[in-house]
Amino acid sequence: MARMKFLCDADRCIECNACVTACKNEHEVPWGINRRRVVTINDGKPGERSISMACMHCTDAPCAAVCPVDCFYTTADGVVLHSKDLCIGCGYCFYACPFGAPQYPRLGNFGSRGKMDKCTYCAGGPEADSTPAEYAKYGSNRLAEGKLPLCAEMCSTKALLAGDGDIIAQIYAERVTTRGYGSGAWGWRTAYKDMVAG
Amino acid sequence: MMGIRTRLRTALVALVLGVGIGLAAATATAPEAAAQQQPAAPPAATEQMLFNYLQGNVQGRVTIPDRRAATLIQPAGRDFQDFWRSTMKWIGGIAILGMLAVLAIFYLVRGTIRIEAGPSGRTIQRFNGVERFAHWLTASTFIVLGITGLNITFGRELLLPLIGPDAFTAWSELAKVAHNYLSFPFTLGVALMLVLWIKDNLPSATDARWFAEGGGLIGHGHPPARKFNAGQKLIFWSVVLGGAAIAVTGYIMMFPFQFWATDIAGMQLAIQLHGIIALVMIAIILAHIYIGSLGMEGAFAAMGTGRVDLNWAKEHHSLWVDEMMSGGRAAAAPPGARSAGAD
Amino acid sequence: MLIKRSDASRARGGLAQAFASFSAGALDRRAFLRRSGVAAGGLAAVAGLAAGTVKRAEAGPMQPGVPVEVRRNICTHCSVGCTVVAEVQNGVWVGQEPAWDSPINRGTHCAKGASVRELVHGDRRLKYPMKLAGGQWQRISWDQAINEIGDRMLKIREEAGPDGIFFLGSAKFSNEGAYLFRKFAAFWGTNNVDHQARICHSTTVAGVANTWGYGAQTNSYNDIRNSKTIVIMGGNPAEAHPVSLQHLLQGKEKNRANFVVIEPRFTRTAAHATEYVRIRPGTDIPTLWGILWHIFENGWEDKEFIRQRVYGMDDVRKEVAKWTPDEVERVTGVPGAQLRKVAEMFAKQKPATLVWCMGMTQKTVGTANVRAACILLLATGNVGAPGTGANIFRGHCNVQGATDLGVDNTTLPLYYGLDEGAWRHWGRVWNVSYEYLRDRFGKAGADEAARKKLMETAGITSTRYLDATLLPEGELRDQPNLRGMVVFGHGGNTVTRMPEAAKALAKLDLLVVADPHPTTFAVLAERREGTYLLPICTQFECSGSRTASNRSLQWGEQIVKPIFESRNDYEVLYRLAEKLGFASEMFKNIEVKGKEPVAESVLREINAGGWSTGYCGQSPERLKAHMRHQKHFDLVTLRAGPDAPEEVRGDYYGLPWPCWGKPEYRHPGTHQLYNTNLHVKDGGGTFRARFGVEHNGQTLLAEGSYSKGSEIQDGYPQFTYGVLKRLGWDKDLTQAELETILRIGGNNPDTVSWATDLSGGIQRVALEHGCIPFGNGKARANAWNLPDPIPVHREPIYTPRPDLVAKYPTRDNFVAHRVPNIGHTVQKQAVERNIARDFPLVISSGRLVEYEGGGEETRSNKWLAELQQESFIEINPADAAERNIVDGAWVLVQGPEMPRDRFIRVKALVTERVGRGVVWMPFHFAGHFMQEDQRGKYPPGTDPIVLGESVNTVTTYGYDPVTSMQEAKCTLCQVRAA
Repeated sequence: MARMKFLCDADRCIECNACVTACKNEHEVPWGINRRRVVTINDGKPGERSISMACMHCTDAPCAAVCPVDCFYTTADGVVLHSKDLCIGCGYCFYACPFGAPQYPRLGNFGSRGKMDKCTYCAGGPEADSTPAEYAKYGSNRLAEGKLPLCAEMCSTKALLAGDGDIIAQIYAERVTTRGYGSGAWGWRTAYKDMVAG
Repeated sequence: MMGIRTRLRTALVALVLGVGIGLAAATATAPEAAAQQQPAAPPAATEQMLFNYLQGNVQGRVTIPDRRAATLIQPAGRDFQDFWRSTMKWIGGIAILGMLAVLAIFYLVRGTIRIEAGPSGRTIQRFNGVERFAHWLTASTFIVLGITGLNITFGRELLLPLIGPDAFTAWSELAKVAHNYLSFPFTLGVALMLVLWIKDNLPSATDARWFAEGGGLIGHGHPPARKFNAGQKLIFWSVVLGGAAIAVTGYIMMFPFQFWATDIAGMQLAIQLHGIIALVMIAIILAHIYIGSLGMEGAFAAMGTGRVDLNWAKEHHSLWVDEMMSGGRAAAAPPGARSAGAD
Repeated sequence: MLIKRSDASRARGGLAQAFASFSAGALDRRAFLRRSGVAAGGLAAVAGLAAGTVKRAEAGPMQPGVPVEVRRNICTHCSVGCTVVAEVQNGVWVGQEPAWDSPINRGTHCAKGASVRELVHGDRRLKYPMKLAGGQWQRISWDQAINEIGDRMLKIREEAGPDGIFFLGSAKFSNEGAYLFRKFAAFWGTNNVDHQARICHSTTVAGVANTWGYGAQTNSYNDIRNSKTIVIMGGNPAEAHPVSLQHLLQGKEKNRANFVVIEPRFTRTAAHATEYVRIRPGTDIPTLWGILWHIFENGWEDKEFIRQRVYGMDDVRKEVAKWTPDEVERVTGVPGAQLRKVAEMFAKQKPATLVWCMGMTQKTVGTANVRAACILLLATGNVGAPGTGANIFRGHCNVQGATDLGVDNTTLPLYYGLDEGAWRHWGRVWNVSYEYLRDRFGKAGADEAARKKLMETAGITSTRYLDATLLPEGELRDQPNLRGMVVFGHGGNTVTRMPEAAKALAKLDLLVVADPHPTTFAVLAERREGTYLLPICTQFECSGSRTASNRSLQWGEQIVKPIFESRNDYEVLYRLAEKLGFASEMFKNIEVKGKEPVAESVLREINAGGWSTGYCGQSPERLKAHMRHQKHFDLVTLRAGPDAPEEVRGDYYGLPWPCWGKPEYRHPGTHQLYNTNLHVKDGGGTFRARFGVEHNGQTLLAEGSYSKGSEIQDGYPQFTYGVLKRLGWDKDLTQAELETILRIGGNNPDTVSWATDLSGGIQRVALEHGCIPFGNGKARANAWNLPDPIPVHREPIYTPRPDLVAKYPTRDNFVAHRVPNIGHTVQKQAVERNIARDFPLVISSGRLVEYEGGGEETRSNKWLAELQQESFIEINPADAAERNIVDGAWVLVQGPEMPRDRFIRVKALVTERVGRGVVWMPFHFAGHFMQEDQRGKYPPGTDPIVLGESVNTVTTYGYDPVTSMQEAKCTLCQVRAA
């Protein structure tokens, strides 16, 4: 059984934000909800790196662990999804998430924080696959059509990899071998509690 | 679940198309470069090295206005996960179950503490309407806040399996709203109690003796006390300080990132404090409820009718009774109240 | 102060409002789409619009069970040429999928490409023609718009002659649109026609063409995968051409290549460099000569290459000798040791390529910069082979094509120029007489000589329309003051000196803006009458070909029908030509359906006349076949292999020009220009013998160098019928070819050349003999016809180093393109007045990945607008600290030519990206003009989501002597906390 993961190769990422707009466009994500974002560290200095970040679909996901209503579930592919019908918008998952993935409509408005929204790995939600009901709540379900998340598919430099963890780790390791260096697989230790060679 | 394997296979094909092309092409055009040797792992930074390099602060720049998005990774989220999943549940479980156990044992050993002299039949005004309003405002909201709060902490384990996810979410959503809105009357109640009773709750010399004698709960003595004995003072300060802490941390959670806790570490701390203090307070209040009801004959009336039996008062608050009797203060009794001994 | 404050808060309110409309959530919009969208066939009345005739744009979620059509077009943003795969249901664009098959983007996109679907949803598009009457926008019909515009144009023609109108075209045109636009200007009778290439790579085209023949990228994005050393100078492709970085970074990784970035600013590209060289803005020539100094000093130059293929390198040596490491460091700030390292890599770790963009070109010395870059390539022998070359990254999606097709004041389509031969050539192609074309020029009653002179005089440039409008007529040459402007697909904020532009636009009698969006032109000036807005559809709603930076042509098919009442460029030009009375002549050879010229038919006419640049072989059928069979083209060589379908087998992807001969000749196109290692029939070639056969007693023909398989194993001049006869190859011409040549040649058939022979026979015969039609010449290190034959350093007009002006002054005043260029006076006054003391910061400008060009289109795209919500200025922490400026604070910026009491107000971004003494602004913003919020001046509902202050309000005087390129990268300003 595949274990779907994301891997952002920081030596490739150029902060072009294709992943961000691909996501927005694919799922019609409204303003203020950023399922995916690109963060640049050491901005303007030698050693500057940009990393595209979204839900990493963690092993032993912290969001799921702290959810008071147990609205998260992990699919057979290792994708961490949630049910917006069950979510009560409490916001705890945001505090537990190491990657800042959970987003809330009108975050900060007391008492009326909406249902949490986050990256679905383009795998929809608990509704029947590729139905309008699923689309309305979670966006499109590419995985059900045999496609991978659009952010990674459209990544301009193929920095963002998506797919089975073993395969993308191998691709990354081969790249590191080819070029002779690597900045590490950002977030893998925190998300998957394991390292990738290189 | 239909065809998950087919679906997956297609996904993997797409993956190979998507990501593998670069490698395939590289191989195709530069066969000599794609020599199949397996060199030793090249130098690559580990995540830990990167964290160290960045001095643990994976903070960057983003173009969107959401400042929090600039935090790339906050590994503390995993700690928060552990805290929530185990630490807090253990603390809460031990505090609450432990307190219930202690109370149960105490009850078995000691039973209800009776008025030694027996009810006198004469009562004395202990708490006026305003005081009782403040108490019950705080108490009732605290009970709802406590239950809804416990629901957030333990409901998933205890209640969810019983009523199912849909009902549990419906209830939890309601509970969340109640928890948020009742915070305001609760805060008001605590503030009122502070104003009404602070002068009677300042520590005094008598408190030391009271403690020394174990509050009279152990053995059968009755150390002297004024309006509030040291134990009650403890409850008072627990409620005032704990309540304030819960209120402050609670408001931080209701208005996240708005004040004080403007970063995620601050928010995590707020939640952790809120949870632990609330659980400990629940345990303390359980004891308070016990002693004010089942645990002690005559105690409940103080907050029920506001009038207590004189003998009860003499046993537990001898100095206060003296003060009340010696004029001045007695005149503060509500109109229509007959002064003690007039009949 | 109070007014400014309220203005500012209004501005913020405006943005908040603008985005409040979607913060309400996607659910509402989706719900709306579900109700009214796909099932209804994509037609629904727009709520809030009076008339029900307006077609609603749709771009909703995919509907299960509705058949999906897949259509391919090309991204309309940068010049990389990414294929866009659109999924269409019932005529509605519902999804976008990765274009895995494209050898250029291989499925990927940047932020802009991944959100192009939104352009066709078009919440903020111009929905129907409008005019400004009494200061109010009025909706009008297309017929009324065309009639009124035509009447006003004819009135100006009557009073001022055809040169009273300036035609500003677009790099967003398809090739067919660009060609028709240039043809339209010719039939109107003016050379006052230009487009964004002026401010993009006009200096590249001039400098590079004057060096070795053609002014275009010599290799390709994909070819950089072969490079061992990549030097990027004055470019930030990570933001401007993100998908190109896929090729650069993969090439860099695979070859462990040197990746050198020479830039004043530490860009997102520099972050991936193995060597970053920070230079002072405006010192590119000293930097390049500093590199070359080490190369000559150490004898690292490619002596054999220079001997065989370069003219005048010794003259360069003399200039370079002046640039010792000390002098270079004094002027540029770069230590000698670092340049030595770069020099050694560039000369020894070959193949090496030099990539440049606007940092080199947008200068008063742009042409000279580009020439120096070419000379560095020539000196090291890094031209004409895989992995080498001048990889010039063009800007807009079709700026290459629009340049090629002559949306330019100095030439007819395909670089034929403006001389009589050029007009006669195109007259033959268009099937109109030379006399007819000539008589379109000049005022009524002008004599033949006057008309001929105007016909052959280069027109006004896009950078100088303001001066042509404002200066006293006596100071202009051959040019009345402009009275009208017809602007197709061009922003108003990309040209420098916006305060002057606002005055000029206010003065015009007629301003026509034909664009999907109103653009800055619609709001910048205080106008109350005579402005017309024509809604043009995007290229996604139109068919046609576009030429990517690497000279590959790609055919885009219409994805959806034009939304609202928008029309494509072809139709609008046809309607205007019809109104102006020359449609029947102009569209003689072109099929017109209804009122819409057919793109395929236009391309065939281009093929019929495009010999000079090898635009003759790219028939619509071939281009469509390439799109169908994308997956058969190799990622690195771009060539379709032996297992590809017959119709594309052996071709290079997109038939990069020159693609010689007629389409049926099946020339594969030219992936790498001037590559002597290939047979010309396989895309090989030599430097073009464009400048004669000898100069000052030295030969200009190659010596001992020739392309593979050439029957002439030495240099040779360009082919004419006369040359063929001398070689005895004329007998290889077919009878039909010969007849055509004789017909064209008339009394003097020997002069008929490879470029004017409409039969293609001369090209065919030359190729059959292994020779390239344009001859085998030397590249010119010394271009004697340019103002600076050998590039010399000249300080910017406004320089932070006035001490260097005496030694390195700008050129004397002169007149170019009908307008005086008084740069010398301006520079002298700036030094005398000590401008550098009051305005001590160098201000430069550049691109953000989320936006493009003037930004109206991208700032109206909500997915992009969310990512960059405010105009900002980058400032070094030290400069910020001196001014009490903190990151994110508002600051006021003033340039030396702005009114004394006016500023622009932007956010400070305190960063080490810029060095001390340098600030930088993105150039995409507009809609705030010196603290005036112009949101209310847009027609309702068409204001871009994000508005901001434009950097070009601050930029100043300064023009390249060859092309009138503006100075946009190096002027002065002052910044203070707001």
